[in-house]
Amino acid sequence: MQMKRLLGSLVAVSLVATLAVGCGGNKSKETAKGDFSVGLVTDTGGLNDESFNQSANMGLQKAKNDIKVDVKAQESKKDDDYVPNLTRFAKDKRNLIWGVGFKFDKAIPDVAGEFKDSKFAIVDSNLGGKIPSNVVAVTFKDEEGSFLAGVAAGKTTKTNQVGFIGGMSSPLIKKFEAGFTAGVKQANPKATVKVVYAESFSDATKGRSLAKSLYDGGADIVYHAAGGVGKGLFDEVKSREAGKYWAIGVDMDQSRLAPEHTLTSMIKRVDVAVFEITKQAKEGTLKLGTEVNFGLKDEGVGLSKNSKISPEVMKQVEEFKQKIIKGEITVPSK
Amino acid sequence: MIGKLNRNSTLLSSIISIILGMLVGAIAMLLSGYDPISAYGALFSSVFGSASDMGETLRTITPLIFAGLAVALAFRTGMFNIGVEGQLVIGSLAAAFVGLKLELPPVLHAIVALVVGALAGAIWALIPGLLKAIRGVHEVIVCIMMNWIALFLSNYMVGKVLSNNSDSTEKIHPSASIRVDFLTDMFDGARVHLGLILAILTTIFVYVLLFRTKLGYELRAVGLNPDASEYAGMSVKRNIILSMMISGGIAGLAGAVELLGTSEYLAINPSLPGTGFDGIAVALLGANTPIGVVLSSMLFGGLFNGGSNMQYVAEVPFEVIRIVFAAIILFVAANFVKQLGNRKNRKKKGEKASA
Amino acid sequence: MLSTMTNLLETTILYSTPLILAALGGLFSERSGVINIGLEGLMTIGAFTSAVVAINTGSPWIGLLAGIVAGILLALIHAVATVTFNADQTVSGVAINFLAAGLAVYLVKALYDGAGQTPVVESKFTDLAIPVLKDIPLIGDPLFNTSPITYIALILVFVSYFVLYRTPFGMRLRAVGEHPHATETAGVSVVKMRYVAVLISGALAAIGGATLSTSIGSEFSATTVAGQGFIAIAALIFGKWKPFGVLGAAAFFGFSVALSLTGQVWGLTEYVPSEILTMLPYVLTILALAGFVGRANAPAAIGKLYERGSR
Repeated sequence: MQMKRLLGSLVAVSLVATLAVGCGGNKSKETAKGDFSVGLVTDTGGLNDESFNQSANMGLQKAKNDIKVDVKAQESKKDDDYVPNLTRFAKDKRNLIWGVGFKFDKAIPDVAGEFKDSKFAIVDSNLGGKIPSNVVAVTFKDEEGSFLAGVAAGKTTKTNQVGFIGGMSSPLIKKFEAGFTAGVKQANPKATVKVVYAESFSDATKGRSLAKSLYDGGADIVYHAAGGVGKGLFDEVKSREAGKYWAIGVDMDQSRLAPEHTLTSMIKRVDVAVFEITKQAKEGTLKLGTEVNFGLKDEGVGLSKNSKISPEVMKQVEEFKQKIIKGEITVPSK
Repeated sequence: MIGKLNRNSTLLSSIISIILGMLVGAIAMLLSGYDPISAYGALFSSVFGSASDMGETLRTITPLIFAGLAVALAFRTGMFNIGVEGQLVIGSLAAAFVGLKLELPPVLHAIVALVVGALAGAIWALIPGLLKAIRGVHEVIVCIMMNWIALFLSNYMVGKVLSNNSDSTEKIHPSASIRVDFLTDMFDGARVHLGLILAILTTIFVYVLLFRTKLGYELRAVGLNPDASEYAGMSVKRNIILSMMISGGIAGLAGAVELLGTSEYLAINPSLPGTGFDGIAVALLGANTPIGVVLSSMLFGGLFNGGSNMQYVAEVPFEVIRIVFAAIILFVAANFVKQLGNRKNRKKKGEKASA
Repeated sequence: MLSTMTNLLETTILYSTPLILAALGGLFSERSGVINIGLEGLMTIGAFTSAVVAINTGSPWIGLLAGIVAGILLALIHAVATVTFNADQTVSGVAINFLAAGLAVYLVKALYDGAGQTPVVESKFTDLAIPVLKDIPLIGDPLFNTSPITYIALILVFVSYFVLYRTPFGMRLRAVGEHPHATETAGVSVVKMRYVAVLISGALAAIGGATLSTSIGSEFSATTVAGQGFIAIAALIFGKWKPFGVLGAAAFFGFSVALSLTGQVWGLTEYVPSEILTMLPYVLTILALAGFVGRANAPAAIGKLYERGSR
């Protein structure tokens, strides 16, 4: 009986759907306005992820205000959404379409191949070097910024032990690990770096447990490149003595999560990159088919201005920074 | 005659359920200052609005049908396969392995990849099935654990075996792809693929298996009354294991189809895809019948695909779609509309039904 | 070595606390005969509400209370659907999960200008040290210098045991889950008992959620609960629908997670990739079930529709 009831009810679905077509079928799609329009698709992190998606959106909003381009952003709910979301913008004839995050490394070439008249940009991937002629790949020297974070940690640690929490074992996160470890070693050869991975980007409880184990094991400074997992690091460090235990944030200035305990944050200026590239595209000076790599030199990565690093240590960080910019030090990326 | 009347009123009450569900969403939108009319306009216009939108809707529906069928089949034997999620991940992994590592002629390559994907899913589901049959371990726990194991195994394989320490694999060989040009062209570039046809074939297969074969009769009998079935000479253990394996095979096929048709590559993932859990909702809303699964997949896929357009055009948060869907499930499951109408008769009906 | 053990124990407690609470919630509901697959959703709504209210009132305790109320309200929907309207219990539970996930994230976006998470909960639960006991070596610090919610969770295990096995209310509740018709004949209202049980379940699961957003963590986002409600269901079954069983199962799972995490700090990743190490708790749980625990018998009337007068 109940079976039939439910089954019958479902027949209704198709009816309603058919009705719906009648009601809404003729609605014209919204199209882009203005001379130059930009679309931005986030990965599954969403627009306000307090990470690179949010930063990218800040750049987009700056472009809207400063150089008067029409902008629109769209969140992706699943990895499968990347292609349709990019396609939607392409069909709206938007001039430049962003895919934010390395997860777009298959979707961007696919859609770019389909819509040859649109320009595309991807953040955090060089597409394995095979960049189509209507795509620009924007990458960051995360290892350089992480190196400076490592120098700050190596010079500040009292226990000669620091920690690193990675999100998932992937080449992108390894860049952060490699740069940080190299920085610590350069600044303080006696210091050791304990590296752990959460195999997650969202489990804050895991982040807190890992941070607890690292601090209990003797580390006094922990850096993370682990998205939401890193929130747990700040929760843990906040429960400890200020001035003795430190956390280092990533992507954006994270000091608000634990103001007294945040040594500094490694900032990745996705906003600057999105703005610059968008501006170039509007002015017609953008070189397509290439990789644009933002490092310390271009202020694409660096440490946050808001920091608790002591002035002496800061001076040394600055020295290392100049050496990297001049090319005297090459920072490993894996 | 009475049955017919009854069915008509059921039809009506479920349309009302759907409308009520959307009303709940509209109220949520109004309360937080969004315009429900433009939101729903955007939703509906996208579901069937253009060929490519319709294509993407069909693409969304495809894995849901598989996942829903997998859950429904196991339910019929009294097993709660909450592990479709993991079986799907393993199916994708196995298909990716075949698609990347083997060199075979077209068609055959795709068939091998599909079969291996289905087998992998079946084996993944065999573990909870066996443990249930032999040791009496509750399948729900084992399935939940197997989901996470599948995820981490897949991530490990992507990085260490299927690629050179990368976040994702290369694309599979074109010979293993199940995308076909005529479908893609028909839907204006949308990624509709042969998986849709496979989903329909699987629906027919499940229907025939459950309702037209002796095995299906046994599976259902075990689900309805294991003790009586045992007494009647059926092996409950054997049927539990078979049911889980077929269910897992369908789930594995879902994963393989998604990989060979939609994404064509495998990437590391921080969390489970969620399709298996959606499949539970789809199966239950479809009353665990094959045709019901297809219809509820259409509702689900239409709402969710339309939801992203709603967010795009009307800038209403996507989450409102989850609220709408939950409300529809509740209204349909509780048969809210009808029961409000004849609360008084309920007690009588209960007695009749039990007689 | 000693500090390593302490650390393991601390991490175990961190991980098990929300599981114990949510699983106890499931226990009440299921012992009365109502499947509660909606624990995940109940935790989500508890985590969301307590975080938002704690932010606005500056008190995690008021936040917790509000979370409990929200959990009860959401559980009420489950109760109305399953007990009054005789909806399929699994269907309704799945709907509860959808509803909570949608509602909580939607409200975060509506309240905080499109943000993906709440602001930081500044006034969260801080560790509460119990004099004397906290100085016991090894276990003192992890067990007696911890979040108030952990104490609440442990006390609730004992309270649940007492209520279920030593009070007339508990005996009726269990009887309703085993033999509803006989119990009804004996003059107990099945409907009333099930309502109460499902509402208790909402309250307890909501406390579990509040743990995640105002004690262990300090914000609510879409990923705050992230599957813990389902692990709690596993713990409930693993613990054979008994309060101390649930405690043991949650502690076992928490300990396995702790092992896999501290294993990395010990440098085990030199030999085992971290992805494989991360599987450890899930593999251990299956092995434990297959090897030692075995058959689990659910309450007899679980999931069955109950209509007065029918049988």
